[in-house]
Amino acid sequence: MSIPAIRIQGLTKDFSVGMRGLKLRAVDGLDLEVGDNQIFGLLGPNGSGKSTTIKVILGLLEASVGKCEIYGKPSHTVDARRSVGFLPEAPYFYRYLSGRELVRFYARVCGVARANINDQVDSVIDLVGMTEAAHRRVGTYSKGMLQRIGLAQALVHDPQLVILDEPTAGVDPLGSAAIADIIRELKRRGKTILLSSHLLAQIEGLCDRVAILHRGKLVREGRVDDLVQDELSESLVVEGLSEAGRAAVAQAITEHGGRLCRVEKPRLSLDALFLNEVNQQESARQQTEASAPKEGGLE
Amino acid sequence: MSAVVESIDRIRLIAGNTFLEAVRQKFFNSLLLISIALLASSTFFQQFDFGTGELKFITDFGFGALFFFGSILSITATTQLFFNEIENRTALTMLAKPVYKLEFLAGKFLGAHMLMLCFTLVISIVLAGMLYWRETELMARLGDEFTEGRLIRYGDIFIFGFLQWLKFGVLAAITLFVASFSNTNLYTIVVSFFVLIICQLQYIARDAYSSMEAGVGSWLVKVLGLIFPNFQLFNVGEQLVFNVEQGLPTVTLLQITAYALVYTVAFILLGQVNFRRREI
Repeated sequence: MSIPAIRIQGLTKDFSVGMRGLKLRAVDGLDLEVGDNQIFGLLGPNGSGKSTTIKVILGLLEASVGKCEIYGKPSHTVDARRSVGFLPEAPYFYRYLSGRELVRFYARVCGVARANINDQVDSVIDLVGMTEAAHRRVGTYSKGMLQRIGLAQALVHDPQLVILDEPTAGVDPLGSAAIADIIRELKRRGKTILLSSHLLAQIEGLCDRVAILHRGKLVREGRVDDLVQDELSESLVVEGLSEAGRAAVAQAITEHGGRLCRVEKPRLSLDALFLNEVNQQESARQQTEASAPKEGGLE
Repeated sequence: MSAVVESIDRIRLIAGNTFLEAVRQKFFNSLLLISIALLASSTFFQQFDFGTGELKFITDFGFGALFFFGSILSITATTQLFFNEIENRTALTMLAKPVYKLEFLAGKFLGAHMLMLCFTLVISIVLAGMLYWRETELMARLGDEFTEGRLIRYGDIFIFGFLQWLKFGVLAAITLFVASFSNTNLYTIVVSFFVLIICQLQYIARDAYSSMEAGVGSWLVKVLGLIFPNFQLFNVGEQLVFNVEQGLPTVTLLQITAYALVYTVAFILLGQVNFRRREI
């Protein structure tokens, strides 16, 4: 059996609040295991303990009780962090560096060999689609670009585990879709991804497993399909069925001991609708631009 | 061994980046310009016709400017460079990498200390240049007083600058220590300035306990005298530059250097103890 990417056992984290040192429990007896090469979603409302859990995993906070391991190594050790890449929520980087300089700086901090550093930096910048803007100063980047360059710095030392805290917060749907594609690509490359997000629709289409936290406690954990599936119902999606045909189907269902609960038209998610529309417009614009020089050339 | 080399490399990288951030700050550039302007203004006092005493006046003025503005810069720049990382949460990204918190603190310290090296060097060069220019003029005007050649030992200006730089290092380490448990810029700056004043006036406590009878009071003053470094040790301007016959012995110079290094390392390590527990 392979070692899990993350193993959390009985994790409790208390913060002292105010002068009297009152305890505020941010995480309460959390047990969690994230298997290798999974996309794992950490869900929960604000204040549910997601970021605290992530900080404990990264060794930025010490657990009050319990333990946390990354690939079998205690997570608070520097050695464990060699195999981790992290993108914080709403990342802020050194504004005076260019995107390439920033990624290069973190590559050197992570100990990437000098011989490989240029290839590695170029490779991750290309992966996140920032090649054209890599020479620009980070201070001039949009939110989406910051997230992408943040992803690049998280990946530059080729970590086995990638932790993304709200990777699509404040990013438009197109940017979010691009980040989701990068996450899928990382999984294809054998990486494990732990991400926290409020965008449930996106998580649903992206994650293999999710855990739901509430007030620091684990409420549910499992495969996305298992959790969202209604075990008692099934749906049939049909096309071109006449009124008579529908009546026949309803009758057949009744005859076989079932009950037709409702008949509805399948809905496209707003996310999917938006992306379809924008992508169509973008394709049309690119076609127009591609044909424009030819017209100019004829004149 | 390679772990040590890797660690030094990481500290160097963090220090380099901190220095880059520091020299881009308007505050540093403004303070440097003000210091140079103030130094240059000391030549306006030549209308009082001090004779060769003018050189001593300019030297004291320059050393005073170096200490005053250097102390301000050391405290404020170190505070700002540390809290920029915390408030902008760049520390979060950095410490999520395979970086020890001590490496981070040491890198911040060295970056700030490199900034102080630049400041000290520029002020020392400007001071030496001004003194050279005035001394040359005075030699032409008052040849009798310069029968044995130049009065100023220019190398001593840089020795004094070096000692001040060491003192700024202790001050930066104290500031980092305060910042490691403080939550705000302002608190760190205020407390660090208080510590600076205590360290400057610490010799009074030393004088007091030397004349006190043995007891709790004497013991307490002795302990306080050990906790707070004695900054008067670095004020050796009187033994430098002009006092040709009784210069500062090399042994004393090395002792002061060792004294500064011990306090600097001690305060960085104390800062590390706090910083380890700090919630980033």
